[in-house]
Amino acid sequence: MHFDLASGVALHVIPTKQFKMTHVLITFTTSQTRDNATARNLLANLLETSTHRYPTQTALARQLAKLYGAYVGMGVGRVGRLHTVRLRASFVNDQIAGTNLFAQVVDLINEILFHPLIDDNEFDGPTFRIQAHNLRQTITALYDDKQFYANRQLMNLYYPDEAVLRVPSFGRVADLANLTAQNLVPVYQDMVDRDRVDIFVLGDVDPAGVRDEISQLPFSSRAVSSLSPYYQQPPHPAVRRKVEHQPVVQAKLNLGYQLPVYYHDQNYYAGLVFNGLFGGTPYSKLFTNVREKASLAYYATSRLLPFTGFLGVQTGIQAVDAQRVTDLIAQQLAELCAGKFSAEQLAEVQDSLINQYRASHDLANNILGRQLLRALLDLPPETAVTDKINAVTADDVSRVAQLVKMQATYLLSGEK
Amino acid sequence: MDRQTYQEFNRIIYRRRLANGLLVQLLPMPGFQKTYATFSTDFGSIDNHFIPYHEEDPVLVPDGVAHFLEHKMFEKADHDAFDLFGKLGADSNAYTSFTQTSYLFSTTSHLHENLNVLLDFVQDPYFTAQTVQKEQGIIGQEIKMYDDDADWRLYLGLIGNLYPHDPMRIDIAGTVESISQITPEVLMQSYRTFYQPTNMNLFIVGNLDPEETLSWIDQNQGAKNFLPAETPRRLFELNDPTAHDVIPFRSLTMNIARPKVMVGLRGIKQFTDGRARLHYKLAVDLLLDVLFDDTSDNYLRLYNNEVLDDSFGYNFEMQRGFHFAYFSSNTDQMERFADEVVAILESADKQIDAARTRFTGIKRAELGRLIGLLDSPEAIANRYAGQLFDGANLMDEIQALKSITLDDLYQVAADFINPQGISVYQVVPHHQ
Repeated sequence: MHFDLASGVALHVIPTKQFKMTHVLITFTTSQTRDNATARNLLANLLETSTHRYPTQTALARQLAKLYGAYVGMGVGRVGRLHTVRLRASFVNDQIAGTNLFAQVVDLINEILFHPLIDDNEFDGPTFRIQAHNLRQTITALYDDKQFYANRQLMNLYYPDEAVLRVPSFGRVADLANLTAQNLVPVYQDMVDRDRVDIFVLGDVDPAGVRDEISQLPFSSRAVSSLSPYYQQPPHPAVRRKVEHQPVVQAKLNLGYQLPVYYHDQNYYAGLVFNGLFGGTPYSKLFTNVREKASLAYYATSRLLPFTGFLGVQTGIQAVDAQRVTDLIAQQLAELCAGKFSAEQLAEVQDSLINQYRASHDLANNILGRQLLRALLDLPPETAVTDKINAVTADDVSRVAQLVKMQATYLLSGEK
Repeated sequence: MDRQTYQEFNRIIYRRRLANGLLVQLLPMPGFQKTYATFSTDFGSIDNHFIPYHEEDPVLVPDGVAHFLEHKMFEKADHDAFDLFGKLGADSNAYTSFTQTSYLFSTTSHLHENLNVLLDFVQDPYFTAQTVQKEQGIIGQEIKMYDDDADWRLYLGLIGNLYPHDPMRIDIAGTVESISQITPEVLMQSYRTFYQPTNMNLFIVGNLDPEETLSWIDQNQGAKNFLPAETPRRLFELNDPTAHDVIPFRSLTMNIARPKVMVGLRGIKQFTDGRARLHYKLAVDLLLDVLFDDTSDNYLRLYNNEVLDDSFGYNFEMQRGFHFAYFSSNTDQMERFADEVVAILESADKQIDAARTRFTGIKRAELGRLIGLLDSPEAIANRYAGQLFDGANLMDEIQALKSITLDDLYQVAADFINPQGISVYQVVPHHQ
């Protein structure tokens, strides 16, 4: 059920008796720029830490504990080129709690979004300093995960130097130095006053009652500009390659390809099935041939990013095998182009994708994620997804495989 | 079939012990599309010392056998069980812990056929020298991958401090060296001892009809012959049950940017009754919340002094025969972090005194978290710990939690917090 609360502010209510918990997702969406990701992530951290009524994180945490340990948290995410600040809340439903928990959580959300700890046009100094410090540490620690590190390095090869998408959705340590308790206030105001806002409520709720409660959040009308998540870049004239040496036990070999298949274009479902056969499922060629048959890798997977036209392969291998693994991956791709896979493999991957799709209806966060995409893209509810997956033919898969263009390779090796 | 109704949550669990000794439990979840099934044996990485089925002499098997067996169960002479699930549209997996091995699938179609695949592949062992050798390569890679994982090294390093002469100190997967000693005979010996139906349980949650599902299981099990049951004879004994062998401190240098520290506390209380053990576990969970959760003054003070940050976490692990808690954070003040955590633990009584007003909120928050798990078929099945908590399921756990009072915490604090059980492990960047 859909309600327009103000211009540019939409409420989507999904009533269901399936869950014991109620879930709320509020997203603030705007185009990502080179500068806004870090600022918006720090802002999300500040907002979820304290408010005027709950001026320390302890005061806020104590209030949440009283609400049956309601979870209310903020973070950032990305849909293609669009940057989102997200507030998520989940809490025991009113029937089990035996009280009007929903109204009390909305009241707390009101505090968090509209009464942040800002005085005289600046965020509270000590809170700002510690959150900025922590965000620096958190981003730094992310790169201690070598799989993550290798993936970021590949992205830096894949995207041209000036591309906005080179900046991760969670931001960069270097940008933190430019942020202050003062200049984050206009970032906040921009977000609450100008961003596109979508509010989703999922659970055993009454839509009219939800609308009445949510209407109390003082969102103002805003200009509705069209936002597109889609990103394209011209192919690189030559494959970009990088080898890096660090004291690691297991080497990471990551490959980046361009695959111009986009969410809900005519090749979308063929692209999903292709990726499932390549490395996106346990029935894929990468899993069975590189990991299982050749024992060359502990993991070997692929993933398709359907808003940016990017296809990535990640593997964990022995550094000495790098060339063999590279050749073997190329061979798997060539076989997909040539239609060398059995009808049985194709059916397995289709069944697996259908199982994943059906099972995703049992997870509140997946339901909300799908609703968010629908809302941002202004698409009607999806229908006959299983039929569309089943309709993909072997020829469709080969046709999509032939669109794949190698763009970048990155190897993190422990050996010199 | 025995049934138990949980009115408050609108859930019914169906239970039956089959003629062969297998315990079957079924929990329908109306409105869900998925069915999630786990088939588990009480056999984990610490069970390396036992008297094999129908034999007289004890054996000491190489580290990592339970996990190796888990990998090898899927592979048969002419097929892989994993592919059978795939052909039936199901996802399957397996995992091994210190004390348990579980095989599982998740499906939205062909439940009957998938159940047969699960029961059949786990009850039909097939090991050859050649397949064992191939697996040594795959698991070797898995072990190496974890070598680069600083958080895993921190955790395993701390357990090595807490139990320096017990099998928990070794990675669940074993070592490259230990798995090289595994043979088909070793696997078969462990299999016969621990994979008897009497030592296993089947837990199915989600989209299912209990009568029909049970009839399928009956049919499958009734058609098979099993060797006479024999209770597994485990010889596991802690090297020092009083925990005086705990190593107080060790540190490891790794290629990372931020230092990590973990403080551990090993408990020494032993239990004979599963429900008493569950009560203790839930009370310790609440005690740790009182001392360290984000509603505590301790947390705010340490956070504001940058002794800990958002990576801070703590957990209590209760297993068959041992239990411990750990507290960890990324921090530039590793010594201070350890000192502060120990000081808070040692002043537990005073901290409980001061928590009278917070306790209702803490308990409600813990209840809310457990109630949230009721929406997840996976969480309900994976959380089930069998004998350990005398068959308690998630709903029983919620009921048990409700009965715990603030005054119970004084007793568990006295039982759990012993100075000789405390240890610290650090993972430090190269340049420091």
